[in-house]
Amino acid sequence: MKQEIKVYRNLMGANEEWAAKTREVLKEKKITMINIIGSPGAGKTALLEKIQTFLKGRLRFGVLEGDVETTRDAERLATLQIPVSQLLTDGACHLEAKLVHYALLDLPLDELDLVIVENVGNLVCPAEFDIGEHAKIAVLSVTEGEDKALKYPLLFRESKAVILSKIDLLPYLPFQMDVCLAAVKQIKGDVPVFALSAYKSEGMQAWVDWLLTFSEKK
Amino acid sequence: MHEFSICQNLVEAILDAIKTMQPRPKRLLSAHVVAGRMRQIVPQFLESAYEALIQDTPAAGSKLNIIEAPIKAKCLVCGQVSEITPPSFACQGCQSQSLDTISGMELYLDHLEVEVENETGN
Repeated sequence: MKQEIKVYRNLMGANEEWAAKTREVLKEKKITMINIIGSPGAGKTALLEKIQTFLKGRLRFGVLEGDVETTRDAERLATLQIPVSQLLTDGACHLEAKLVHYALLDLPLDELDLVIVENVGNLVCPAEFDIGEHAKIAVLSVTEGEDKALKYPLLFRESKAVILSKIDLLPYLPFQMDVCLAAVKQIKGDVPVFALSAYKSEGMQAWVDWLLTFSEKK
Repeated sequence: MHEFSICQNLVEAILDAIKTMQPRPKRLLSAHVVAGRMRQIVPQFLESAYEALIQDTPAAGSKLNIIEAPIKAKCLVCGQVSEITPPSFACQGCQSQSLDTISGMELYLDHLEVEVENETGN
């Protein structure tokens, strides 16, 4: 005899519990945490290196560096005296809340105002997981094409700001800025977009100012 | 490929549910999962992960059924609730893009279909 049994169990429940624990730690330590998501090579690490210069000590920040393999990015940041904790996913395509929680506790939290998580390079999976952050930030480089927001709507829908990176390359690309911005607006009409080049330091100040304001208001 | 990670939670939830059922079912026929359309779940990946993870468990041999839930959003300008069809995120009433997404991110095990002993004991 067949029988139907109602269960109702949230499949993201365990992840959400860890995310909630992280939020408690962040609240207690008065720390803002942002989750930077973009494809491999979008310029996420370069952006972090430059943020330090533009913050000019107004916020003390540390980094949780998510990678599938190698500690190369963490080493890049450590040479700049940025406190960094490396998360190696060992093949997994995204960071989950439990891993982030323990890595966060490895940072010198009493000495920080801001934690930036550099997620694994991927526009799909990281957008699905709440890791306890105050904001997801999408990073899209101009070499990736104008239509990425339409192809990966969840990330752009979930993000509180969008960074359009590597704009110093625009003279060499058939990239149509207006088409790209229209695609982003189609997914999330009110999201702020920061077009910048970390390499040339162009547009960095506006983005860092937003970060400072967000950090105060969040 | 986050489907595998999600599927581990799913199988755990199913096995927990089966354990607490009284009387214990003879076998699990199917598990029904609701996935919001905003979630980028690839059904085939979830099904493959499911088949791999249920082997040698009390859920072995069961089928996975994925029920897609639509994306709905409330307009912050006119208040209308619209069904959203990506890639267009706009109110169907006033075309405003100021929306509060109210559904489409669901991901839960809704129900199980099990085979139980007949009351006559057959």
